Amino acid sequence: MERLKGLTTIIMAGGKGERLYPLTRDKAKPVITFGGIYKIIDFTLSNCLNSGIRRIYVLTQYGSFSLDQHLRLAWDLMRPDLGEYIYSMPPQQIMVNRWYRGTADSIFQNLSLLQAERPRQVLILSGDHVYKMKYLEMLDFHLSRDADLTVAAVMVPRKEAGAFGILHVDGESRIVNFLEKPADPPGIPGNPDHSLASMGVYLFKAEVLVEEVIRDAKNVESKHDFGANIIPQMVGKKRVFAYNFHNPATGMPRYWRDIGILDAYFQAHRDLLGAEPVFDLYDREWPIRARPSLYPPSKYLYSGQSIIVEDCLIAAGCAVEGTVRESVLSPGVRIGQGARVDAAVLWDNVHIGAGAQVQRAIIEDGVKVPKGFTIGLDPEADARRFPVTEGGIVVVPNNVILEE
Amino acid sequence: MKTILVADDEEAIRNLIVEELTDEGYRVIAVSNARDALKVVETEPLDLVILDIRMPGMDGLEALPRILGMKEGLPVILHTAYSQYKESFMSWAADAYVVKSSDLAELKQKIKELI
Repeated sequence: MERLKGLTTIIMAGGKGERLYPLTRDKAKPVITFGGIYKIIDFTLSNCLNSGIRRIYVLTQYGSFSLDQHLRLAWDLMRPDLGEYIYSMPPQQIMVNRWYRGTADSIFQNLSLLQAERPRQVLILSGDHVYKMKYLEMLDFHLSRDADLTVAAVMVPRKEAGAFGILHVDGESRIVNFLEKPADPPGIPGNPDHSLASMGVYLFKAEVLVEEVIRDAKNVESKHDFGANIIPQMVGKKRVFAYNFHNPATGMPRYWRDIGILDAYFQAHRDLLGAEPVFDLYDREWPIRARPSLYPPSKYLYSGQSIIVEDCLIAAGCAVEGTVRESVLSPGVRIGQGARVDAAVLWDNVHIGAGAQVQRAIIEDGVKVPKGFTIGLDPEADARRFPVTEGGIVVVPNNVILEE
Repeated sequence: MKTILVADDEEAIRNLIVEELTDEGYRVIAVSNARDALKVVETEPLDLVILDIRMPGMDGLEALPRILGMKEGLPVILHTAYSQYKESFMSWAADAYVVKSSDLAELKQKIKELI
């Protein structure tokens, strides 16, 4: 744990998340509900906690109140008198008179933090990823290569790699080129059918980070983004390595998802379900922390008609009198008599009226679906009333009132 | 003609720099504090800034990122009697760091390199 002392951790959480609209219309993307009881940022913060990291800055911008509120309600557990903290940092307009222009600029604007701490390494994380990662293993890799920058990466099939930022590496894992959404992605030495996709998780030698964000701040052409500007500016000039986030025993990539679009959000919920889920929330070796709940136990009420619950995650405080399959229910959800819910993500206190039918839908907190109403069964009717994703998922925001 | 802004609270040094750089063929604007320097950066087309660090009120390390915020590509030389600020990350945003001396040869050399 000694090597943690020189590490400062910064979580990027300021993005607007437009591609997750309408879920992000009143809050920051990292505090979108995920997996029933979590917010997306809980995964990254839990990874920090489980890795022994207890000094964390969360850089906020868009919807910063929602993030501050969540950090207070769920993560007020550090002891500042022991040198532990989670601080949220919106643009302060002290050093320069502007918002964060991009991820790299958000570090530039906080150089005084790094000056005050003088860390040896800086770990840069994202607040909108779902994964379980031992950051100390990446730190060990970084130190063993004497790297200036280590970029975490997952293997993806080469045919699908065109959707990602791809790291072209040599036999020593050194990055020789960075390609944003390449038409012809390079394979991995020894594994030509796969490519390495950047996870947006970066570990820097602190002084190199400072030099690079300053260089970037002076570049009029730059978008001030780590992926688009900082990595390309370093590759070939500095010691930049890729850390392959995989299970060495099986050779398989570990689970990592960027919750960038609504379909990815929905699909990642599917990964939580089943007897052996792709992404296991029940792993006691690596607990994911959520906001403590004061809800009573969930109840399943028999009222003459049998209730069916198959392959679901059901949070506390729910009341089920109908049929629910392959769904994720947040606290306080009610499923009325004879109602049917299939493949849905229901946020807090959603009520599904008796006899209503819902499938392949995301429903925001507090929505009351009237008796007999249908969502996700008639694509034309849905498209008239609600946002529908490319993948055909209906999103029901809580600013609509549904009429019987 | 290239225009250089000098911000230094010590009159003797300011005058020395103005005199010698004018002789070198530069147009020189001189101010005695960082706030005035920012006003000039905002309003005048400049090619380079020579910035003292220890000045009353706002210091040079505070002014430096603000100058970059207004004019991203504008070269800045930190010109100070102290070498210890070289350790500060904030000073790394300057294009050069010159420790003051009665002989301006190094300062002139850095100016030539930058513009």
